[in-house]
Amino acid sequence: MPLDTSTYALALLRLDGRRWNELRRIRAQTSTQAAADGSSYLEMGNTQVICTVIGPAEGRNTGAGRSGGREGEANLEVEIGFAGFSGVDRKRRGKGDKRTAEMAHTLSTAFSSLILMHLYPHSTISIHINILSQDGSILAACINAATLALVDAGVPMTDYLVACTAASSPTTSASAGGDEVSDPLLDLNAMEEQELPFLTLATVGGGEKITVLVMETRVRVERIEGMLAVGIEGCKRVKNILDGVVRGVGR
Amino acid sequence: MTSLKRSTASDPSTNLSSKVYVRSTRSGKVQKIVRELYLRQDIPCSSRLCSQCLKTAPTDFNNKVAPFVLSETPAGTKSFPNGHYLVPDTNAFLTGMDLFEVETAFHDVIVLQTVLEEVKNRSLPLYHRLISLTKNEDKRFFVFFNEFRLETYVGRDRGESINDRNDKAVRRAVQWYGEHLQEAMRARKSVRCPTVVMISDDRENLRKSKAEKIPALTLTDYVSGLENSGQLLDMVSAGKEQREVKSGKVELIYPEYYSMSKMITGVKAGTMHQGTFNVSPYNYLEGSVHVPAFDKPLIILGRENSNRAVSGDIAVVEILPKDQWKAPSTTIIEEETLNKNDNADEDDGETVISERERRALQEEVKRAHGQSTEGRPQPTARVVGIIKRNWRQYVGHIDKDSIRSTSKASRSQQTVFLIPMDKKIPKIRIRTRQAGELVGKRVLVTIDAWDRDSRYPVGHFVRSLGELESKGAETEALLLEYDIQYRPFPKTVLDCLPAEGHDWKVPANLDDPGWKGRKDLRNLLICSIDPPGCVDIDDALHATALPNGNYHVGVHIADVSHFVKPNNAMDKEASMRGTTVYLVDKRIDMLPMLLGTDLCSIKPYVERYAFSVLWEITPDADIVSAEFTKSVIRSREAFSYEQAQLRIDDKSHQDDLTKGMRTLLMLSKKLKQKRMDAGALNLASPEVKVQTESETSDPVDIQTKKQLDTNSLVEEFMLLANISVADKNYSAFPQTALLRRHASPPKTNFEELANQLKVKRGMELRTDSSKALADSLDTCIDPREPFFNTLVRILATRCMTAAEYFCAGAQAYPEFRHYGLASEIYTHFTSPIRRYADLEAHRQLAAAIEYEQLDASLHSKPKLEAVCKNINVRHRNAQLAGRASVEYYVGQALKGRVVEEEGFVMKLFSNGFVVFVPMFGIESTIKLRDLATPEPEAEFDMESYVLTTRGSRELRVELFQKVRVRISDEAEESTGKRKARFELV
Ligand SMILES: [Zn+2]
Repeated sequence: MPLDTSTYALALLRLDGRRWNELRRIRAQTSTQAAADGSSYLEMGNTQVICTVIGPAEGRNTGAGRSGGREGEANLEVEIGFAGFSGVDRKRRGKGDKRTAEMAHTLSTAFSSLILMHLYPHSTISIHINILSQDGSILAACINAATLALVDAGVPMTDYLVACTAASSPTTSASAGGDEVSDPLLDLNAMEEQELPFLTLATVGGGEKITVLVMETRVRVERIEGMLAVGIEGCKRVKNILDGVVRGVGR
Repeated sequence: MTSLKRSTASDPSTNLSSKVYVRSTRSGKVQKIVRELYLRQDIPCSSRLCSQCLKTAPTDFNNKVAPFVLSETPAGTKSFPNGHYLVPDTNAFLTGMDLFEVETAFHDVIVLQTVLEEVKNRSLPLYHRLISLTKNEDKRFFVFFNEFRLETYVGRDRGESINDRNDKAVRRAVQWYGEHLQEAMRARKSVRCPTVVMISDDRENLRKSKAEKIPALTLTDYVSGLENSGQLLDMVSAGKEQREVKSGKVELIYPEYYSMSKMITGVKAGTMHQGTFNVSPYNYLEGSVHVPAFDKPLIILGRENSNRAVSGDIAVVEILPKDQWKAPSTTIIEEETLNKNDNADEDDGETVISERERRALQEEVKRAHGQSTEGRPQPTARVVGIIKRNWRQYVGHIDKDSIRSTSKASRSQQTVFLIPMDKKIPKIRIRTRQAGELVGKRVLVTIDAWDRDSRYPVGHFVRSLGELESKGAETEALLLEYDIQYRPFPKTVLDCLPAEGHDWKVPANLDDPGWKGRKDLRNLLICSIDPPGCVDIDDALHATALPNGNYHVGVHIADVSHFVKPNNAMDKEASMRGTTVYLVDKRIDMLPMLLGTDLCSIKPYVERYAFSVLWEITPDADIVSAEFTKSVIRSREAFSYEQAQLRIDDKSHQDDLTKGMRTLLMLSKKLKQKRMDAGALNLASPEVKVQTESETSDPVDIQTKKQLDTNSLVEEFMLLANISVADKNYSAFPQTALLRRHASPPKTNFEELANQLKVKRGMELRTDSSKALADSLDTCIDPREPFFNTLVRILATRCMTAAEYFCAGAQAYPEFRHYGLASEIYTHFTSPIRRYADLEAHRQLAAAIEYEQLDASLHSKPKLEAVCKNINVRHRNAQLAGRASVEYYVGQALKGRVVEEEGFVMKLFSNGFVVFVPMFGIESTIKLRDLATPEPEAEFDMESYVLTTRGSRELRVELFQKVRVRISDEAEESTGKRKARFELV
């Protein structure tokens, strides 16, 4: 049994040695699968996902996580799967899983507002994401990988969609004054997600505009501001990293 | 296609490593967890001597840098004249935590992350103590995250054990610290560089550090170099040292424990059973373990079968063959009378069971055999292993007969016995250099180990509390025995109090944020009714008539949650304390005085914040509606029960306040009747009040508590408020509402009492429901003896299970039931000043009525369950401590006096019986050998509960019999407590 998040206050260090405002190592590649129109592989720490994009292609299917598809617009499909070995215990998570479906829905809603859907009437763009290893910030990793794969596929978008997670560290009473100190934390791993209230947010092009904000835990209202500030800053950095990956392809 | 293979070369920008944990889950699966490790160079050394680290020190979200901890001028010893920083290894903390907590020594200590993690794995209580040391500013303990710092991180070599790897990590960190400080000193151009010293008892580790030129000492060697070493040396854990000394001639006298995996398999397969080991208060050789598979507890007889289990440990047991089953003991056996002459010093030729113990046991077994046909033999078992030790610190006194040399001058180390105050705990062997000084003192010790080769556990001295029977020492002893936190509130807690102090007032301006969401109830005629002299007034009431003939009734509770915000230092302290503890002459508060007795307390004539429950109630005491609101009130008067009663009874008072009280009284009687009709139990526990002289708090008189109608008035409305709030909180938070339940006791609990009543009085005790029990208790009346009914109720109360706090999600709704109160749902809401459960209920209610947001900690089931677990223990300990305090004062009040009183026989043994004296609310054992010398022969008829003696004294003692006893006092030798001593007249 290793230490838990309550030790953050002892030296302002997180369970993996990071500071409050540090991202884990992010590594990514694009064009990883020749068969797809666009593809990517992305690591955020030990979270690993691969993503493929097919389309835009003629025809309209109906499937899970469908979005858009109004008259004269493209249809966006998102499918998310978990590899059996991705978690700590080998648990199967079927496609029918409610949380997986929710994640797919979040992605398709977010991306359909960024992709220039009207350029491809009567066609379908499908995003397939496979999670190879889970260590927190899964939704954020999916969004980032999907952005890369969409760029790789040459799907026109107004800007990148970049995501990360932010949490609120356990409260510690400051020695002076007795007021509460709680640092917001950036980019959570699985252990931190289990113990702390956190949110996932995605911004457009690493700016201030938030398109995705998901929070399933309860947190004091006063904490949210700090969490958002750190999250927005984190997204900006993720944007730069992804940008580097995309530009690096040419070389 | 691009390869997805991860490059193994580490990224130059981040120093990334990974750590692999293997853990096995409850279901037996093995999981492998890989975690990242980000190595860095900006983790400061936190020495005030270092300016380099100050430059790179990290800032938090608010741009603040944590202050550096380690002193510029640390204390030194002869060997380290320039001062030193200590770096203890894991075992140093595990064996010497008491030492590290000493105020006068062990400052400037570096706690390595490696060590902290290992301590956590080995012992959670010690981990928590270590964490609280790091928060104590005076001790200057700094946690250095060596595993994250690039220079101090070490990998694990192939084939290297985790322990060796961790020892290596500790040495590496010590070495780095040393070099780092020297550098810092060069920058300062100073020469007085403190030494960084490793503290370890591991020989291999010490050898390696010598080879690597790393300063290192054993804990003992280090302490020997300190000024008050004699006293401190006693505190070094005994276990290890002694084991080494003895290793030459080890004679194993206890059976070996099974391996953990064998026990787990056995428990799973049902061939072994797991439960908490308890020792009988009447017979130290008889233990019992309650396990799910059996209705009645398994009996564990004798030292060999209990195999080093100490009362409170979680043990695994194996059932013995049926021919060894027996009925529970009917003999009083005390350790002191049997093993008085054991030698503390010599373990040579020691056997598990002393000759006298063997004889006592044999007689037991013989008797059990003779009866086994008609008796009620129960399964017996033996302990095969311990899952978890529940050792704590124990208070006791040194057995003066075990001391070799009592000369105070003698500084030689000797081994002595400590006799714990708690009779269920065996004697503890202690090595000490101050035996002479410790005689006649209350002493605190801990158990370190109980090896197979020692009949008694081995422990070490922690500190002396003072003279036996001195009030200070006895009170502190009591607080320690029941683990009650009694130190003054630390500054961090006091800092949470309102800055205005006693001048705080309800804001006059209604626009003040304090008034937001509050109802102005200052016009209501509210009063409080409490025991005389009550200063922490939790509750107040009012009642007014409504035009429709109904009544508007309110219970107004101190608004503690307004002042105590979740998770601040004050809240954490209160959560840990769990409850205020009331001793005869002392109150140990859960909250600082300023709040408890002033700002929160609903004092008369001043405005106070309150949390009000308001009902409309019909004249028949039916509830029409209930409403909850935060409010501002002004109590018109603070009555004692007696004053309130007089005022209600005095017809000349016709003011509205008194009328309101009469209404309340009228309604409370109807409410009570309804409860009784629903099957609520009217139980009894002996309650006495010790009157003390106000100046010296010396006891002068003992009275049994009187029950007035006004007592029951307050009680009924508090019950009603608690039930109403429980309903509301449960509907708002079906998973996390904090509630209180009282499980129906298993039928077997009442078997013996029911049989006794049937045999002795021809009465029937029906126990199928609380209603049946309540009704049948009403019929247990002896027309010639009015106290008999109370006696039966006292005995019935002892058959009950304890009520407990729980988190709604942890039980199914039918299990919520409060058996004693015959209520479907219940919680505690009405005493937030003195109970933490009530404070949590306030917070939940405030959120349920949308007054404010609920803190995350009150949404989390695991966190609430931890809170419940703690307050359940605290609640119980507070009760036990209160009772022990009364017992102590009764003993003191009787000192030097002899009184004759009436008593009742409540339990029989083959060599004695227990008598209860209602006048003082005390019970005591009268042993046959105290009746006459030589001890009269006796015949115990278990079937008809009669003990007949012949020979030196002829008596016939029956269960429930009324007897006259002469009560005097005696300092009980076995526990050092002054107690009432009964003699049969
Ligand atoms: Zn430094």
